[in-house]
Amino acid sequence: MSFRTRIPRVTLANLKPAPGSQHNQKRVGRGQGSGYGGTAGRGMNGQKSRSGPGIRPGFEGGQTPITKLFPKRGFVNQNEKTWAPVNLDRIQHWIDQGRLTCSPENPITVRDLVVSGCIHDAHDGVKILGDGAEHFKSPIYIVASRASKSAIEAIEKNGGKIVCKYYNSLALRDCVAGRLDRISAAPTRREDILWYGKYQNRGFLSPLTLKKLGDLPFVEPRWKLLAKELGTWRKQQFIAPPHPQWQSWS
Amino acid sequence: MLGKAVAGRTSRLSERIGRLGPLLFKPVVNVKPRITPVTRVKPVLEPAYLSLTPALKRGRWDPPAEKTVAALDPTVFRHPIRRDILHLCVVHHLDSLRQGSANTKTRGEVRGSGRKIRRQKGTGKARLGDAQSPMLRGGGVAFGPKPRDFSTKLPRKVVQMGMRVALSAKLREQRLGVMTRLYWPNGKTKHLAQKIDMLGLRKTLFVTGESSVHQGLQRAIANVPMVQLSIASEVNVYELMKWQRVVLDMKAVQYFEETLKKENVPVLDLPVQESAPSATPSQSPS
Repeated sequence: MSFRTRIPRVTLANLKPAPGSQHNQKRVGRGQGSGYGGTAGRGMNGQKSRSGPGIRPGFEGGQTPITKLFPKRGFVNQNEKTWAPVNLDRIQHWIDQGRLTCSPENPITVRDLVVSGCIHDAHDGVKILGDGAEHFKSPIYIVASRASKSAIEAIEKNGGKIVCKYYNSLALRDCVAGRLDRISAAPTRREDILWYGKYQNRGFLSPLTLKKLGDLPFVEPRWKLLAKELGTWRKQQFIAPPHPQWQSWS
Repeated sequence: MLGKAVAGRTSRLSERIGRLGPLLFKPVVNVKPRITPVTRVKPVLEPAYLSLTPALKRGRWDPPAEKTVAALDPTVFRHPIRRDILHLCVVHHLDSLRQGSANTKTRGEVRGSGRKIRRQKGTGKARLGDAQSPMLRGGGVAFGPKPRDFSTKLPRKVVQMGMRVALSAKLREQRLGVMTRLYWPNGKTKHLAQKIDMLGLRKTLFVTGESSVHQGLQRAIANVPMVQLSIASEVNVYELMKWQRVVLDMKAVQYFEETLKKENVPVLDLPVQESAPSATPSQSPS
């Protein structure tokens, strides 16, 4: 194979990083020619030209900084959720215009509401509200985060189904993007498990909700599993531990 | 206005759907389906064919090496040569080997009292505090080395790519060999060394895919110079680069293909080992 151009062997000796991927080290205080001689890139004298961390953020030269000037007020609720409200008359209007459709295979989810422009932002989930329930006529299948009593009543009166499913932020994002390859997270907080376990909320962890839904195609088999796993507390007996004083008597 | 906003959002969504693949997606019920034009056809890669290296000791049921060809996964053994990736892997490995145990004593750690060795004023000499000052003989070291960890991190996928590149480079340089198995019936070093010389396999790294190396071969090869035997799961990019020639056994090929194969590239389906047709393009390790 003398006609073939000889490819240099790849050895330990001729490996090098990709061009442009690395920088030269900045050599500070090594003479005028380097550009970082004299003051070593730190400008003229002052606190910031010395070693050490310098002034802290928010420091205003010794004057009381604005963060300390005013007293703390109010509080931030870490558990707060902002629901995107959707009223029944709005859904009905969208259905009338042909912008929303649903079937037992493809229930209305957050994705459909966002894509059809019924809501502009999913926030922390969708809450179905009952305004204009008297104009609401269609039997719809819908999976939301929350639903009001009047909305549940109106939807079921028309022969529709509603389930409230727990979405954490990642699951909600996946739902809006339409991704089905990841399993949505189960609720972990006690309050969420209790709330979604109630039939009056049409929670997806409630055995009665699942029973009433039956074998509709949009019901995920995982819901039944979760309802069983997270509903074990219903059958658990709690025995109060004996009082320490009584123990010392016996 | 609202209509325009909806159209903008839906068009972006359909783009995203196209990028991530159709199966992962819930069908868009409320938007008219659009036909996406097929712009290009995905190429199908052919396996890399490599004629077998004669075994150290041929098993009775093994096919003869001259008439057999190994079909190697092109995603593993035909990867584009990326020297920068190899550099990253090698530097990462060498960093991990650094001991980092160099240690000196600072002025706080040097033994001795904190007594002021000379009064502050009146001696006509320099002001001094304790005797461990770095300026003094017997004092601590200023800014000396302290034990530290030099190991760096490298993403797992880069390491895997490095293995692919290293194996591909060896194949391209015709310095990769595949044997049906790595086996030596007894622990006799002399005969093994003769056999290795006969096959021209000095300066060679033998890699087996078995979980443990064959006892006889291990004993025999241990004292053969310029030859090493190791397990596929313990081989790294640095070793592959360091050794001039690499010989794998079939299990090692399987191991590398399992761990390094790229799933989303269509490859012609062939078993690893197959009897050679008469006119098969083949390479042999020189």
